[in-house]
Amino acid sequence: MNAILALGLFAAVVASFASAVEVVGGAAVLACAVAWVADRGALKRVLSAGLVLGAVFAAAAAAAAVAWSSGLERGLLIGATVLLRIIVLAVAAAVVSRSVDAEGILRATSRFGMERLGLSLGLALNSLPHLVTTATTVWTAHRVRFDGGRFGLGRLPALAEVLLAHTGRVAEQAAAAAALRGHTTLGRAQVAVASQAPTVVVTGPPGCGKTPLVEKVVDCLAGAGQPAAGFVQPAIISGGEKTGFEVRNVATGESAELARKVTQGEGRHGTAYRFRDEGFALAGRALDGAAPGVVLVIDELGPVELRGGGHWPAVERALKTDGLAGVIVVVRRTLVPTLVEALDAVDVIVVDLEGEADDPVAVVIGALHGGDASRSFQ
Amino acid sequence: MKDLRPWTHAALYGALWGALEATAGTALHLGRVPFRGEIMGLMGLVCLVCLRRIQPRVGVVLIAGLTAVFLKIFTLGGVFPGPLIAIALQAVAVEFGFLVARGRLAAGLGGAVALGTNPLQRVIMAWVVAGPEAATAVIRAVGELGGVDPRLVLAGFVAVAACIGAMGGLWAWRLAGRVVRRLGDRP
Repeated sequence: MNAILALGLFAAVVASFASAVEVVGGAAVLACAVAWVADRGALKRVLSAGLVLGAVFAAAAAAAAVAWSSGLERGLLIGATVLLRIIVLAVAAAVVSRSVDAEGILRATSRFGMERLGLSLGLALNSLPHLVTTATTVWTAHRVRFDGGRFGLGRLPALAEVLLAHTGRVAEQAAAAAALRGHTTLGRAQVAVASQAPTVVVTGPPGCGKTPLVEKVVDCLAGAGQPAAGFVQPAIISGGEKTGFEVRNVATGESAELARKVTQGEGRHGTAYRFRDEGFALAGRALDGAAPGVVLVIDELGPVELRGGGHWPAVERALKTDGLAGVIVVVRRTLVPTLVEALDAVDVIVVDLEGEADDPVAVVIGALHGGDASRSFQ
Repeated sequence: MKDLRPWTHAALYGALWGALEATAGTALHLGRVPFRGEIMGLMGLVCLVCLRRIQPRVGVVLIAGLTAVFLKIFTLGGVFPGPLIAIALQAVAVEFGFLVARGRLAAGLGGAVALGTNPLQRVIMAWVVAGPEAATAVIRAVGELGGVDPRLVLAGFVAVAACIGAMGGLWAWRLAGRVVRRLGDRP
């Protein structure tokens, strides 16, 4: 639709709010003329039986009410005005909605400096088939589980829970995919520290054994006479359930509770956990053990740290230590590019535990010593 | 921070809401199902509250709302501006709830405002389309023929819708808690 037609349509919409029926009639003619030139399909869509009947019904109701209070003549006049106004608004809506395309909207967001919004809209559009497949799978699983029995409203919450959780997982995967492709438009780094030591970033899905791996690596390094400083954050398991995290100094074995799961109340930093100052203090003391020739172990850094909170002040202090033998950092996949940028390190190797065919302990130790170039991130 | 998750979560939950609007919303609209606005409002509320509980950042709900509007434009019902305005207003209402309160109270407040403004929005739309004279005449006719003050009727509708919205918001908050536990977030 060109600018003149767009202007004509806009003028018709504005004129349709006039009180004089002649003006509104003129607006209706103008709107229909624009639609005839720009998109005849839109006009046909508006003139469908359902829409016309609805408009006539609304106009008749308005006419009846006004006729009852101000006389028949005035009622007919108002009814005609309402009918014409509805036609103008429906024609304008039909033309606009049919002339807008997704690509156009995405280009517009870019033109107005809203790249992040444009990327999000593009992601939403692309994820629709995935969401539909997910909904179908959830429904099929539900039918199989209940052996095709009658559907009851009582089962809706369970279905909604599964669908919402799956949507959340897709969002996590999308963030990971965008991050690993180096999308920097969606976010901004808030911390940075230059690190000269060889750095190994250990990542992988939740529960894949990142913390046990780091503990094994520390044991191997100790066996080889290589000192390590820093902390690990093993989960606290109670009654088969993860109830929190503790922080343990890898050099001294000292430990303290860091986070406890909150059952019904509010967590902190958008998590289901409340944090304890003793845990942060212990982690800080553990990181203060960083010295020349020592391997620094940080398990793990999360979004809180990469915003400059949590362990970050102590981590920054430790990373500035000259002559570190190496750095091992555990981080979730979505934060890998952020971490790499925040570290501003010369030599970074990322080890993803999922799909790691070799002995991961050997891979991490090998990476600390220059390692396999094929796993190099930068 | 280069954490992409608020954006991707907003996009995905907005897409889920948009997909529901495009499928269930259009079906309810074409089927002339009573209270379709309230039903779709509750569905949207669940998506938004869940999103806000998973990603407690200011503005994510608005992005999800924009996403749902974006997807709704390309559906069969995209010709009608009413649902588009309703979706946008609902996102603003839920965001408002989370700006002035926290936790389940915010969810309840957001739900109450979101659904409570539904009848008002319809009245305002009718007022705009029919014009002040026709709208005043209808109000007078309802008042005199029905024997009830139309403002009281409207207030009643708003109150009932707000109560349903508040209950829906609280329920959505609880459901979102279960979703968060299912996702197994780690600090």
